[in-house]
Amino acid sequence: MLLLQQLLNGVMLGSVYVTVAVAFTLTIGVLNFLNFTIPTLFMLSGMGAWALTKWGLPLVHTPPFPWPMALLFAIVVTICASLVVERFTFRYMKTKYGDATEHAIPLVSSLGFLLIIENLMRIGYGTEAQRIAAFDWDNTITVGGLFLRVPQLVSLLLALLLVAGLNWVLKHSRIGRGLRAIAENPDAANILGVDSRRLVPVIFTLTGVLCGLAGILFAINYGEVSPTMGEDIGSKAIAGMVIGGLGSIWGAVLGGLIIGIAEMLTIHFFGADTVQVAVWGLLLIALFVRPQGLLGHHSIGKGKL
Amino acid sequence: MLLEVRGLDVRYGRTHAVRSVDLDLAEGEIVTVLGANGAGKTSLLRALQGAVRAADGSIRFAGEDLTHASPADRVRRGMMLVPEGRQIFVSMTVHENLMMGAYLRSDGDWMRDLKEVYDRFPNLAERRDMKASVLSGGEQQMLAIGRALVSRPRLIMLDEPSLGLSPLFVNNLFELIRELNRGGISILLVEQNTAMALETASRGYVLELGRVVLADTAEALAGDPALAAAYLGGHAAAPAAIQTL
Repeated sequence: MLLLQQLLNGVMLGSVYVTVAVAFTLTIGVLNFLNFTIPTLFMLSGMGAWALTKWGLPLVHTPPFPWPMALLFAIVVTICASLVVERFTFRYMKTKYGDATEHAIPLVSSLGFLLIIENLMRIGYGTEAQRIAAFDWDNTITVGGLFLRVPQLVSLLLALLLVAGLNWVLKHSRIGRGLRAIAENPDAANILGVDSRRLVPVIFTLTGVLCGLAGILFAINYGEVSPTMGEDIGSKAIAGMVIGGLGSIWGAVLGGLIIGIAEMLTIHFFGADTVQVAVWGLLLIALFVRPQGLLGHHSIGKGKL
Repeated sequence: MLLEVRGLDVRYGRTHAVRSVDLDLAEGEIVTVLGANGAGKTSLLRALQGAVRAADGSIRFAGEDLTHASPADRVRRGMMLVPEGRQIFVSMTVHENLMMGAYLRSDGDWMRDLKEVYDRFPNLAERRDMKASVLSGGEQQMLAIGRALVSRPRLIMLDEPSLGLSPLFVNNLFELIRELNRGGISILLVEQNTAMALETASRGYVLELGRVVLADTAEALAGDPALAAAYLGGHAAAPAAIQTL
């Protein structure tokens, strides 16, 4: 029974990894770009939600926001931050040197954004983990002897719904076809009139939505945020994405859940200290046995959306 | 003139791929551009579609200056390039590939154009929901041309469409080009198959090292020994080269 509970907890934890892993997959799949700002955007959303409920907006001294408004506002801030990142990493390279994907510079400058935003948060709000008082209510229900936390259940469902919606858009809408065309053959897409300057911001907006949502779901579930909360999540989401298969959205979902379950089972059997060893060990084994990932296709990195 | 190119220059860094090219194409015409590998034919077409920037010169299409227009604007005005090597999307289905041709169509009529493509190429209709990667070389070329047709172009620019096709299919391809032309679409044709290209086109240009070295009617070019010379990089024509013409 305890094991079953841990499995369930693993799935719930995995849903946060899923959302972040899908964000990574989108930029890798379409733009061939590992966006290092994703963990920071996740943190920005969580910390933003906390700061808004506690202090209100910085600098202009508004009263503290009621929490639903704070959550919504945190997501909006995250989307804006993601678009700023697009403007100064990806688009700059694209307009200046023709092709951003062939350079390591967007990768490095996105790493720069990660460090800058994280440290601005530390300067502004300190390094300690912060409790969000607004979420200190009892939110557990019991189903057949298993404890279920409602926000976790909601986040899992939201994550799956969002991914299913994203998948539908990519498969069946005009924008989705344009994105897949850019992913497979940017040159041919350009010739047919697909304007990547219009579509790339769509990717970064979606990245902002996914990270914003993941950040506030994490804040609600654990009631605690910190400027470093993105680091751990980011690395595990990358592991999940690789295990699931680079460039496959459902692969990212599967990989994220596997990492969540593996983490909980490791804690159950071996204790919390061994989690990193287990997660990264699992990744290495997966790379040996199936380098293209569980749902990835063809050769590594070529299986695009 | 439907297409008027004046003094067009294309550069890639230090490489001067297209040098001061003048080219005209009247509405309803088939014009061919010939030349050896590396003569600048592909660069010329890519510059006309806006995939590479013109370093100098001007491109006018249907009376409008499109020298600095985006590829999307050129597609909207009726220019469409069928690129070298087809460049279809192999991860998409046949149907999705054709829909990419209608990417910029905002009128509701593109469904009808798409149906016409299926009527014209029954093989594509049969494979509608299959991945484009399973198509044969000839079918992929049909798909690339079909994709262009769905954009309802006034001018189709074909870059080496016969490359890698069986001789039988090459005949079908040139018949198709003539048929499209009779239907009112102007054609700019870049080809290695010089004989077939000159048989199909009314006029031709010969490029050498990025420059137009010959411009004449197709009949005149077919009998001109200077054409063979252009393929050999400016030296006297060898008998073997003349035979292939």
